[in-house]
Amino acid sequence: MIDFENVYKSFRGSVDETKLFEDFSFHVETGSFVSIIGSNGSGKTTLLNLVCGSVMPDSGKILFDGKDYTAVPEYKRSKTIGRVHQDPKNGTCPELTIVENMALADNKGKRYGFTPAVNKKRIDYYKHLVSECGMGLENRMNVKVGSLSGGQRQALALVIANMTDNKLLVLDEHTAALDPKTSENIMAFTDRIVKGKGITTLMVTHNLRYALEYGDRIVMMHEGKIVLDKAGEEKKALEIDDVLGLFNSISIECGN
Amino acid sequence: MQPILNSLDVVLQDGFMYSILAMGYYISYSILDFPDLTVEGTVLSGGVVFGLLVKAGVNPYIAVLAAFAAGFLFGGVTGILNVKLKIRPLLCGILVSTALISVNLVCTIVGNGGDFKGDGLSTIDLGRSVPTLTRIFPASELPSDFYGFNMKKLAVFFAMALIFKIITDVFLKTKCGLLLRAAGDNPNYVTMLAKNQGTSKILGLAIGNAYAAVSGALIVQSRGNVNQGIGIGMVVIGLASLIIGLSVFGKVKFMKPTTMVIGGSIIYQASLGIAALLGVPTVYNKIIMAALFTAALIVSGKLKKKRGVERD
Repeated sequence: MIDFENVYKSFRGSVDETKLFEDFSFHVETGSFVSIIGSNGSGKTTLLNLVCGSVMPDSGKILFDGKDYTAVPEYKRSKTIGRVHQDPKNGTCPELTIVENMALADNKGKRYGFTPAVNKKRIDYYKHLVSECGMGLENRMNVKVGSLSGGQRQALALVIANMTDNKLLVLDEHTAALDPKTSENIMAFTDRIVKGKGITTLMVTHNLRYALEYGDRIVMMHEGKIVLDKAGEEKKALEIDDVLGLFNSISIECGN
Repeated sequence: MQPILNSLDVVLQDGFMYSILAMGYYISYSILDFPDLTVEGTVLSGGVVFGLLVKAGVNPYIAVLAAFAAGFLFGGVTGILNVKLKIRPLLCGILVSTALISVNLVCTIVGNGGDFKGDGLSTIDLGRSVPTLTRIFPASELPSDFYGFNMKKLAVFFAMALIFKIITDVFLKTKCGLLLRAAGDNPNYVTMLAKNQGTSKILGLAIGNAYAAVSGALIVQSRGNVNQGIGIGMVVIGLASLIIGLSVFGKVKFMKPTTMVIGGSIIYQASLGIAALLGVPTVYNKIIMAALFTAALIVSGKLKKKRGVERD
């Protein structure tokens, strides 16, 4: 599904240059659910940004289903990618109602012309979609999204990111800004969606337990390199202490 | 009583006339959050296009459409400067409106039969025989003095404001319009919808300036002539009308923002009218305009703060 071939990426600060990825290669199978963990600055989010096209590599290739996507701009890649950000404000429009947000997302990949945006016949379908997250959003369809709670907005963002038939779901610490209970709900809801659709998923998380519990592959990153990569049975055999041990040893190396 | 009625007539005419400019600002400033200074140039461009075409005998309603197209084009240039060349919003407006000073002047002179070197007449006079909006059917059938109200002008300007209000309301409910609102609200969302957020921005600025140009056409209709000073102060008139409208009527339920903007425009013109009735010479108008605008900004800032506190 996704291939990184010899990707280089560095960031220029005011005085120095940080080389994040050097000759980085990475492969994701179609239909797999990959959890990515790592400390701050390890390159997790940059990896997602490179996949989505929000950041362009200095050199190297990024392939989608074997096709070279390296130079394709972010908005064109979005046709087949659904993305949920850490900040619940990012995945929806606060000034628009739930229905309006969903009507826009429903039309993704088609022309945004001069026909009415909201098709009344689709509203029941939208209600059905949001009712599955169990947060009572189906009763607040004409409320501005800005007045919803963070958890509700994130649930809506998840629904919206999966409204059209995307090939890839990208989750960027999407439960990090939520309280523990809501975070659990959103994670369980995410799992239901991913399993239901069988969609290829990349999830960055700081929650080691989520990374172990969900998904079929775990990747730990450190300073732009993959330091742990386990899938299938190997991943199931991993205990949280193993991962935590490795995580701590890396952090101690850095002097944290 | 008669001076008050006369002055009310002017307030309503100007209120409707400038409300189209303010509705344009609703799209570029309220929705897209783009402080667009281009209108200082595009209002006059609309006036010049309208004046030249009407004088040449073109149907004035078609001349209004041509003014719309000219504004759309120049607003699009501002958008392209900002989106493609990454120039700051304020500078884009300054650049385009500065360039338009020459464009408008040359168009006026050449349209008047002068040459490209700039030798010739820089004003356009719509004499008594030119068929303007009020001199053709249906407005021509209305009385020009009805208890101090010029019904011809009033009806034309009211109809124009109403038409643009309805067009705006309908547009904002279409897919294209909703995408524009999303672009102002959360540009990331537009990218996630696999659309180029820059295109929406360019479109919004084009529409905002198209509306400004239509206002310019109506100003020329109202004054009966074009002079190169028409655009001065338009940013303040447009933004002040918009902000007054949204802050005065903001709490009224089921009132569309476009209706609020028309209301705001009338309130703004009424304040100027009252100043005139009180005997303040018109040379002080621009000071009053700036003071009104400042007051509107302060009030709307306070309202926003209040609402923000309530929400958190």
